[in-house]
Amino acid sequence: MQPNFSLVFFTTLAGMAQGLIFFIATLKLIGNALPNDFLGFLALPFGIVLLGLSLIASFFHLGHPERAWRAAHMWRTSWLSREVIVLPLFMAAAALAWFFSITNQSNNLIWPILILLSIALWVCTAQIYQCIRFIQEWAHPLTMVNFIALGLTSGWLLLGSLLLFWPDTILQPSFQLICHLGILLLFVCLTIKLTIWKRNKNLRPKSTLNSAIGIRQVSIRQTSMGLMGGSFNTREFFHNQTETVLSNLRKIIFFGAYLIPILLLIYAAQSSSYGLIPAVLLIHYCGLMSERWMFFAEANHPQNLYYQRIS
Amino acid sequence: MKNKQLALVIDLNVCVGCHACVTSCKEWNTQGSAGPLTDLHAYGENPTGTFFNRVQTYETGSFPNTQTIHFPKSCLHCEEPPCVPVCPTGASYKRAEDGIVLVDYDKCIGCKYCSWACPYGARELDEERQVMTKCTLCVDRIYSETLPEAERKPACVMACPTSARIFGDVHDPESEASKTIANRGGYALMPEWETIPANHYLPRSITETIAAVKEEN
Repeated sequence: MQPNFSLVFFTTLAGMAQGLIFFIATLKLIGNALPNDFLGFLALPFGIVLLGLSLIASFFHLGHPERAWRAAHMWRTSWLSREVIVLPLFMAAAALAWFFSITNQSNNLIWPILILLSIALWVCTAQIYQCIRFIQEWAHPLTMVNFIALGLTSGWLLLGSLLLFWPDTILQPSFQLICHLGILLLFVCLTIKLTIWKRNKNLRPKSTLNSAIGIRQVSIRQTSMGLMGGSFNTREFFHNQTETVLSNLRKIIFFGAYLIPILLLIYAAQSSSYGLIPAVLLIHYCGLMSERWMFFAEANHPQNLYYQRIS
Repeated sequence: MKNKQLALVIDLNVCVGCHACVTSCKEWNTQGSAGPLTDLHAYGENPTGTFFNRVQTYETGSFPNTQTIHFPKSCLHCEEPPCVPVCPTGASYKRAEDGIVLVDYDKCIGCKYCSWACPYGARELDEERQVMTKCTLCVDRIYSETLPEAERKPACVMACPTSARIFGDVHDPESEASKTIANRGGYALMPEWETIPANHYLPRSITETIAAVKEEN
């Protein structure tokens, strides 16, 4: 597939905001460790702005953004439609939590709702890709596991970075926890990604040119796709990058999204240099965008069988 | 019996790859109720445009025993169309009365998700109108009350000089389309995805015919 930057930004920014809000809500539920001021004046507004930015980014992949409201119609069958409903609900619940925080009200119901909605949004986003059964790279539960794990990780690193900018000494001891859980999450994410890459490498395409044309048992090749100047089919479903670019990008993902952040967090935890956490987040996010770009580029669409040779 | 399912049956024995179905399809549909099917850089280096129907060419076998196969490809109007349930707005739909899969251009938001969900690459986004387009089986011809009755067929069927395209109801066992599929081994594309395409293709039997003629002489 041709990676689309609006979707790269949407899925990574929304995923990070979901992770942030998921951990805020979890921490509030288990121990009420985070002060209301931190939530009301920094963390929740930051999460809501990120969700808003992701929403704006998502509009850029629409041909008719002014009709986007129609997309809530087919929630019975379409995961995209469900996502369009869950995202504003999630934003509204986050805004409500923000309102409770700045007015110092305690409402214990809002946190489980936020946890549920953040998970629901991950499920919807991942299912959009996972439910297309003939894109074999996507049609696997690991797609969803990967989206959730990376969202949690980037959200956790964001929470750590935001805590660093909050002048409250009570929160200082928590940075060891930020580093340790961060390392664990990154390690889990790396394991998932390596499993996915291994699976993709061993995939055998179910569709072949023989099944696409219906001519069996003989060698068959295309001599003309029937057009010379390109079409939607040649633009939307091919990434047009060389193997060298892809393999270099895989290295960038491996180091940027996973390995360097892990090593930096280990160093930060050892030497108590927690100022590194925002840098870790920044490097991880750059790697994450490459990972998402690659997620689209790695998907082989069976329609490509019909578009192999111009003439 | 199930509802009507209109479809095309395409005979790969006689298609000569003349692209008459491609141009007649474009000609009708760019000015029909589905149109316009816009072209970009029509006189430039890389002209590109929206088409409902394409003719591709394939070669089988190895030299000197090769065959050239011309292969027209348009929406197959699947009985289980994977493109329809994924549409978030309901713009993509399959008509209950005749099984034609259509797009409501006034509802389409141009998210392209349906094109991802079609394994055949049968849908093309119109770059200028930014809505998804696809073969309508000339729904505005076949039910026309102003065209002469003999012309109430898809434009591609009308144009084909070798009668490689048969149009009919594949759920009616008495239709020419159904009989041809049954008698000549009509098959569906990519059966592995269980989309149950309504359009069928007739397998090549030319080599068998040549062998039979040689045997007779």
